[in-house]
Amino acid sequence: MSEAEAYSYDAEMRKANRAKAVAGRSVIFKIKRCDGPGKPARWESFKVPIEEGANVISSLNWIAANPVTIEGKKTTPVVWESNCLEEVCGACTMVINGRVRQSCSCLINEYAPCEGDVMTLEPMSKFPVIRDLWVDRARLFNNLTRVKAWVPIDGTYNMGPGPKESHDHQQMRYALSECMSCGCCLDACPQFIKEEDESKWDSSFIGAHAISQARYFNEHETGKQLKADRMDALSGAGGINDCGNAQNCVKVCPKGIPLTESIGAIGRSATIHAIKQFFQGKK
Amino acid sequence: MSENADSMQTRHFLLRRLHSLTGIVPIGVFLIVHLTTNSTIAWGGLNTRAQSEGFGWMDRAIATFQHEVEFINNMPLLLLIEITLWAALGFHSVLGVYYAISGKSNTGAYKYSSNFRYALQRITGYFGIFFIFYHVATLRWGWTWLVPGGTKWSHEAASSTFAAAIQGSTDGFTPVGFLVACFYFLGVSALVFHFANGLWTAAITWGITISRPAQKRWGVICAGLGAGLMLMAWMSVIGFATLDYEQASRVEQILHGEQIHLNDEPN
Repeated sequence: MSEAEAYSYDAEMRKANRAKAVAGRSVIFKIKRCDGPGKPARWESFKVPIEEGANVISSLNWIAANPVTIEGKKTTPVVWESNCLEEVCGACTMVINGRVRQSCSCLINEYAPCEGDVMTLEPMSKFPVIRDLWVDRARLFNNLTRVKAWVPIDGTYNMGPGPKESHDHQQMRYALSECMSCGCCLDACPQFIKEEDESKWDSSFIGAHAISQARYFNEHETGKQLKADRMDALSGAGGINDCGNAQNCVKVCPKGIPLTESIGAIGRSATIHAIKQFFQGKK
Repeated sequence: MSENADSMQTRHFLLRRLHSLTGIVPIGVFLIVHLTTNSTIAWGGLNTRAQSEGFGWMDRAIATFQHEVEFINNMPLLLLIEITLWAALGFHSVLGVYYAISGKSNTGAYKYSSNFRYALQRITGYFGIFFIFYHVATLRWGWTWLVPGGTKWSHEAASSTFAAAIQGSTDGFTPVGFLVACFYFLGVSALVFHFANGLWTAAITWGITISRPAQKRWGVICAGLGAGLMLMAWMSVIGFATLDYEQASRVEQILHGEQIHLNDEPN
């Protein structure tokens, strides 16, 4: 099963729903709401008329214009974050019907084809809620800095053109480059636990996205200059060894990035790194 | 990086990888040997060298098992081997529980087979610790108060005393004995799964299997090994759970060269 197939494991169900979608129906949006950090969560439902081609974002837009619950109670507009609206920025990631995914690419026809069907929207479960469906994903980006997920090019002189790269190697790295830091892999991971205490982030499990990005930059001809630093970080607490191999990450990744292959590859790098450290390490 | 952070990192890596390694060597290797030995109760009838006058299939199986147990008992430095195993089991268990409670299973939302295996790996780990403790405590350390019927396992009468311990009496199943036999069945099944699945994930942990096809191929091999071990485990438990105490006892007496008087034998 390829990653793409794994991601769309329920593709048949969604395809069938699309075929039987009823025009002019209304769908119930059951939304988990929260007024701010530390405030209690509550559920509110909205009845939304579905237009042709409607997705979760367009439905949330309708709710923002008509913030009245199904009981007829006027409420505040639901807050969410979105940006590109074409599944490449990751900002609108949320938990839809219990599973994490981008809301912009989530077509109502595929999930709620009949009158009165319910769409459940919740904020991502592993990050602190700012308000309603809007979460603070700072830890996700913090974890990219743990593995120095960048290419060191700043210096006092021109480093010149990089070395040539084979086509196959370029293809392999291209797949890894597609990560948009949405956090789906983290939300679905049983080893990635919500942690609001910032001081614990650097020793908590780093997550598949950062492991895969470490591999991406380790494989970059200039980026590999920082490989030892990355492997130091990944060998420690919260690093590669904390992975429990549930392999949910690869199945929920909207970009079909081979995250579990990255985990295996970084595992191999960590093994080699440890052997090198033992026999020739100065530390 | 500070020296403290350095040693923390080294220690973390070492503990994690030792946890993975101990699951295979010595524990996994021992499991294979142990199940091979124990399942002789089911297939030892094939062993024609255990033939003695009047021996049938089951008699040969009992004799083979007895022979294996005595071979193990006569191994040099047996206690050292045992202590190594207990230490490895203790280490693997304590760290395993510590690691397992660091995760939070979510099979309700993400119903993938690999996710179920993740959850099952942890459940079988907890249950396996419980089972191994009971198994070693009752049969090796002689905690007979935990054995229904109070039979003390003896390496000199390996089949008969174990049959009595797992059946609850020397006279076939008692209700509690039946529960013990079921407990054994579940225990060995859990541990075989835990080993086969652990072998699969260990290959990813150490970076041996990287590509998805490689992980799949190795998965087939691990599943095959698991199926074989599962078969041996079930044969062992069912073999002893259905073993006739009198018959086993008689064979063991013959093996010890004791005079037997079939006519005088109490029924």
